Amino acid sequence: MRLRTRTAYAFLTPYLLVFLAFWIWPIVNSFWLSFLNTRTANWTFNPQVTWGRLLVDPAFANALKNTLLILVIQVPIMIALATVLAVLLNSPALKARGPFRFAFFAPVVVGEVAYAAVFRLMFNEFGIINKLGMTAGLPAVAWLSEPTAAMAVIIIALTWRWAGYNAIIILAGLQSIPDDVYEAATIDGVSKFRQFLFITLPLLRPVIILCVVLSVIGTMQLFSEPFLITNRGGPGQATETLGLFLYRMGFNTFNFGYASAIAYTIAALAVAISLLNLWIGREREQ
Amino acid sequence: MAGVSLKKVVKRFGAYQIIHGADLEVADGEFVVFVGPSGCGKSTLLRMIAGLEEVSAGELMIGGRLVNDVEPAERGVAMVFQSYALYPHMTVEQNLSFGLRMTGHDKADIARRVTRTAGILRIAELLQRKPRQLSGGQRQRVAIGRAIMREPKLFLFDEPLSNLDAELRVQMRVELARLHRELGVTMIYVTHDQTEAMTLADRIVVLRDGNIEQVGRPLDLYDDPDNQFVAGFVGSPKMNFIPARIVERGEKGATVELAGDRPTRLRQPLTGPAPEAGSSVVVGVRPEHFGEAGKGDADLSVAVDMAEHLGGTTFVYASMAGNRELVIQRDAEHRADAGEITVSIRKSYLFDESGKRLR
Amino acid sequence: MRKSVSERRRSIALHAAMLPLALIWLFPLWVMFVYSTMDDNGIFSQGVVLAPSDQFAANFAALERDVGFIRATVISVIVAFVYTLLSVALTSMAGWALASYRFVGKGAVLATILGTLTLPYFVVVIPQYVMVARDFGLHNTWFALIVPPLFNSLGVLFTRQTFRMMPQELFDAARVEGVSEWRIFLFVALPLARPTLAALSIILFLHSWNNYLWPLLINSDPSMMTAPVELGSLIGLTKVSWGGIMTGAVILTAPMLVLFVALQRHFIAGISAGAVK
Repeated sequence: MRLRTRTAYAFLTPYLLVFLAFWIWPIVNSFWLSFLNTRTANWTFNPQVTWGRLLVDPAFANALKNTLLILVIQVPIMIALATVLAVLLNSPALKARGPFRFAFFAPVVVGEVAYAAVFRLMFNEFGIINKLGMTAGLPAVAWLSEPTAAMAVIIIALTWRWAGYNAIIILAGLQSIPDDVYEAATIDGVSKFRQFLFITLPLLRPVIILCVVLSVIGTMQLFSEPFLITNRGGPGQATETLGLFLYRMGFNTFNFGYASAIAYTIAALAVAISLLNLWIGREREQ
Repeated sequence: MAGVSLKKVVKRFGAYQIIHGADLEVADGEFVVFVGPSGCGKSTLLRMIAGLEEVSAGELMIGGRLVNDVEPAERGVAMVFQSYALYPHMTVEQNLSFGLRMTGHDKADIARRVTRTAGILRIAELLQRKPRQLSGGQRQRVAIGRAIMREPKLFLFDEPLSNLDAELRVQMRVELARLHRELGVTMIYVTHDQTEAMTLADRIVVLRDGNIEQVGRPLDLYDDPDNQFVAGFVGSPKMNFIPARIVERGEKGATVELAGDRPTRLRQPLTGPAPEAGSSVVVGVRPEHFGEAGKGDADLSVAVDMAEHLGGTTFVYASMAGNRELVIQRDAEHRADAGEITVSIRKSYLFDESGKRLR
Repeated sequence: MRKSVSERRRSIALHAAMLPLALIWLFPLWVMFVYSTMDDNGIFSQGVVLAPSDQFAANFAALERDVGFIRATVISVIVAFVYTLLSVALTSMAGWALASYRFVGKGAVLATILGTLTLPYFVVVIPQYVMVARDFGLHNTWFALIVPPLFNSLGVLFTRQTFRMMPQELFDAARVEGVSEWRIFLFVALPLARPTLAALSIILFLHSWNNYLWPLLINSDPSMMTAPVELGSLIGLTKVSWGGIMTGAVILTAPMLVLFVALQRHFIAGISAGAVK
């Protein structure tokens, strides 16, 4: 390959300009902003009101707690479900594969607003979920005004929206496992369930870890669901997440400095948890 | 008018040097083949001539003009690639004419050249097909056709036949030779297949590890190799190499003793100085240079391990004392399947420890 | 014989597990569709009614009358098309450069793109807003809707991978024939990358069509609101009926579902690539 710096930059420059202006510069700028008091006419250096406040702000602690709670409960449930779905969808015995795929993959194309609206309506006190529950003899639940129930709704909604997305990724991983591995195991008399346990899962580990990492990053910036389904993190602040807290600080009270400190906390946590996942899932020397 | 001249040409990729100062003169109209094992630098050298790789140091001239910094298109060369490099989304005709169309060439002239090229290669009926509708041999023709379209002064071929099956390869070899005769232009051809090199080349350039080992006409390389590497590379099956020791040196040659528990002595005529007695050397014998016992320079007793009978000839795989594997070519009257046979060495070469030929 | 019986039993168990799950998964979409055809009396009636009614047109008329949903949808369509076109153009050029040339700074560019890949979008949302709205005063403009989200590097990595997988001899052949790099890119590389470009376009279009946070922040003026922002602003207000909101949700969702069914292969390729990028 010849050295062609000028040609290369002719191709690269248009994208590079956008990339630098709207991604790299904001990343740097955000870090600087997080040390500024932006609530005065002239923004001044005062980390005490940003990073300092973060340490003692009960609202931040609450948002962090809620986010981690969702992370710890929802991500494992969803990834397990997605793995099972992918394996079942990949089963040669499955008939009507097309409709089944559609059922689980369709939520991937549904926008946050549309699905949030539906879930909010379904879990309305007089909504279809309670109506169905009462038909089955269950008591009505005030889904959106009970803190625990509201959290459950967020988790259910997220799982509905994202399980299929992860199943697509895991399915791609499954299909890259060569058939002869299973054929050899079948000849050796290994049961299907044991094949799943000792062949499929270990080979899928990198893909599953990828899904976990993506889900962690997604959960750390969870915003639309609590914003729209549980009406801005309600009841009270029971479902306020870090993303929503950042939005409130940044765009309701226009405290850009503090919001930037929150943003960097979100990023640091996302990166840290992702690295932790990668470390746990690293290839071990036998 | 389109000879190629390389003077101390060097190629580096970062800290790695791939070509270590190549010197070569290719005459106008000559068919030169670069041959060598993979990684020897033959393709890199060809791509430098094409202008696809920069020359790190030295001078590269085409038709007497220094082209180190000339763009590929301005060098007046055409290149045929190993993978054919046909554009799958274009018809044969579009493939042939793509380069000329893209550089604003006259339309009538493009049409004329398409007709001429299709005629030369007998592919007129394929012009409207897409590459995936063609057989391997047909694709190969189109790839060559694309080079012909440019009416170049210099053709470059990068292992063009290695994706074809054996039969087609022989057929295309004949076609290429015909093409060279008809067009009369300079061709440089890269291959790792010594048979292709022997049959096509006016002259062969043998490369190893970025160095030119020897340049010469095919039979000169076969008859008179400069070193052990060239001797081993040219000729099929490979030349046998037997470790030996000088036992006596005289004015016009030396006597060597082949390694093994039944020592065989062999007299080697030399015009140059012989190494001292006791020094290690290698004796090379081609499979076809073994003969009937008693009719050569020395006799050798070997145990037959296996024999491949091809009909007219038989290749005997045998081991001599010391478990050294040998390949021996026998004719139809002297087939051997098993047991011990005695053969003579009719012709042999002597190499010193570094592999250099002793003449 | 025994084997086929056990196989059949396994198949029945498989379908017995999958069918209810699939119905649960389809349920919200069905509810969305059914409720878009009902007025609020129907939605909140006593019994469980899950059959479509006939109020879709009335719901839509109310939605249009109250908030001008058609205008918002048209804005969304235009933004999604222009964004997709620009992003594919910019990122495929960049992907080509990174796949095809050795050049000064290549390592740094690649490392920067890859190194910041996993950073959450929230890191940049504040300064992006400050820059576009406060410093340049560009809120409520087409520019603000379309250009900042173009930073997305998905296309760069996706097309780079595709171009690298192509036999480089295809491009070398054109170079020897004197074809310029731009023409090689346009007439050889891009046509060969069609499947990748299709998958990429679909995913980018979907991103833009469903994008919520950035348009919510940057375009507060009703005349420049996108459809998701408009719809989101109605949730929890009494201005528009739930039936109307469901109608809006169906209008946003149905085209994507049709596209998904028609182009499932490209969707799945795009999603897999987007994850692994």
